[in-house]
Amino acid sequence: MTLAMKKLSLTVNERAIDPVDVPETMMMQDFLHEYLNLTGSRMGCGQGICHACTVIVEQDDGTLDETRTCITGAHWFQGKKVRTVEGHAKRDASGAITELSPVQQAFIENFSFQCGYCTPGFVTGATVFIEQLKRKPIAKAELEQAITDALDKHICRCTGYVRYHEAVRDLVLKTPGLLKT
Amino acid sequence: MTLRGLLWSVAVVVVCGALVVGGIFAGLFEKSVVSKDVDQPLTADQMKTLAERGAYVAVAADCYACHTAKDGAAWAGGLPFQTPFGTIYASNISPDKDKGIGNWTRAEFHRALRDGIGKGGKHLYPAMPYASYRKMTPEDVDAIYAYLMTREPMKVENRQNALAFPFNIRRLMTFWNLVNLQGEQPINDPAHSEVWNRGRYLADALAHCGECHTPRNLLQGMEQAKYLQGATIEGIAAPDITKAGLTQMGFDAPLLASFMKSGISAQGAMTNQMFDVVHFSTQYMSDGDLAALSAYLFDLDTAPDRSVAPAAPKPVSIDPALAVTARGTYLSLCSGCHGVEGQGIPHVVVPLATNASLRLNDARNLVHTVLHGLPAQRFPGLERMQPMPAFGDQLTDQQVADLTNWMRANWGGQEPNVKPEDIATIRAQ
Repeated sequence: MTLAMKKLSLTVNERAIDPVDVPETMMMQDFLHEYLNLTGSRMGCGQGICHACTVIVEQDDGTLDETRTCITGAHWFQGKKVRTVEGHAKRDASGAITELSPVQQAFIENFSFQCGYCTPGFVTGATVFIEQLKRKPIAKAELEQAITDALDKHICRCTGYVRYHEAVRDLVLKTPGLLKT
Repeated sequence: MTLRGLLWSVAVVVVCGALVVGGIFAGLFEKSVVSKDVDQPLTADQMKTLAERGAYVAVAADCYACHTAKDGAAWAGGLPFQTPFGTIYASNISPDKDKGIGNWTRAEFHRALRDGIGKGGKHLYPAMPYASYRKMTPEDVDAIYAYLMTREPMKVENRQNALAFPFNIRRLMTFWNLVNLQGEQPINDPAHSEVWNRGRYLADALAHCGECHTPRNLLQGMEQAKYLQGATIEGIAAPDITKAGLTQMGFDAPLLASFMKSGISAQGAMTNQMFDVVHFSTQYMSDGDLAALSAYLFDLDTAPDRSVAPAAPKPVSIDPALAVTARGTYLSLCSGCHGVEGQGIPHVVVPLATNASLRLNDARNLVHTVLHGLPAQRFPGLERMQPMPAFGDQLTDQQVADLTNWMRANWGGQEPNVKPEDIATIRAQ
């Protein structure tokens, strides 16, 4: 049996991927791992529950969406701009990391993760949350609940939720413009 | 006729009319099915014996699901019912003497369940399914009464209904009752078997299936001519559960009995209000009662012990271009969980290829699920269903219409007649 193929082109971490034959039934997670060697997005439950596999889809208006790659077909991303966990830090010409993203840095400073399996998903979720606050700041009193609501769907088997929460809170408090004054 | 004669005739008609209307309002035409025998209180011994059986009868009648609010005190009421006339709240039926029914006599309880008239002559609203409970045997009413009196009394005030005038006048229910309540009916149809009759009693009297599955007329009475042929409640289709409707959904009698027990099947999962029905009621029904209920719904005098599922519907051909785009959407957004061939994942995700929602004439339940998703659910035993994500913000009305049409034509054997306008209507609900 041969798999039916379909051309797919998209942008991943600002790199344009030329049209490539991809099985029409392939999930995005497998495409990232097997075609692009981007293995940071984790395969967890495979059922869209744990959110370890999420990536960012950058919309034309600049807003960011979080999407589960284990249950979303690769071809759904045709023509879209995708940011995986490998695309958050700044890199030099050789590809070496020169500066982590503010969310990544906050997670390190707060010792947020233990085994680290869920971390790519949390980086993605927290980054989308911070981006939302930039566009629509909230009152300080609403911050705790807003962090919980934003990260609630991410599952951490080491139960490191508190430090993820604290890291995001620290970052929001020290970044100007995210809270209503 | 002289002018004087005409005026007299009109006056007589008006006066007679007013007397009849006044008489109805005063309850003069109400037909009670409760016999005088129940004026005699039950003895303590009788209450004790009856209470044991009453636990099962109350489960079969699904009293708890409506008389306990989400996260509320058991039997203390508070669950809201949205009706076209306003919101009605279920009442406290715990045996608290002030707030519940602790002071109700046996006779008062019988009249509430079977005539729709509570303590002190206060009319109930037909959100309480007394039109169905009317068919209950006095012995079963006694059993529920005895059982409820053994529950923990809950000091929880009844919530005030929020009904528009004139529906807030309880006594107006005398008119509704006159039109919609049937007189005393024989419980057994001698033309049918004991199993069929038990099934009918369960369906009509205890489990009150028709309250949701029989469409209602303008006055919100059940349209008996369309008995169990399906209705729409709060935007969701309660499907046709006659033999024809159940067969179209892919059930036979044993499959249906098993579905009522477990809440999950190849035909899909119980959702919405039926999830609660399984959760609080049918999962606890005896195998014999479930078999009887299913046999009756399939109009069988004996419950078959072997299942022969109806043949899958023949796919309906659709525009090839639409099939390509709709299948693309399916592969991208649905197949990760429901499988490329619609086979689902056992114990996690229901199959679509055999799903009843795709086989219904009305596509609204499928569309509603695609747009709004479903919560995770735990079924009896170890069965689970993961949450179904909502795709309303990722798909346009056209995309949802195409996807729905493709799935229904491919697996449900239904004509691709869903239009983007239909999606917009359901989206707004």
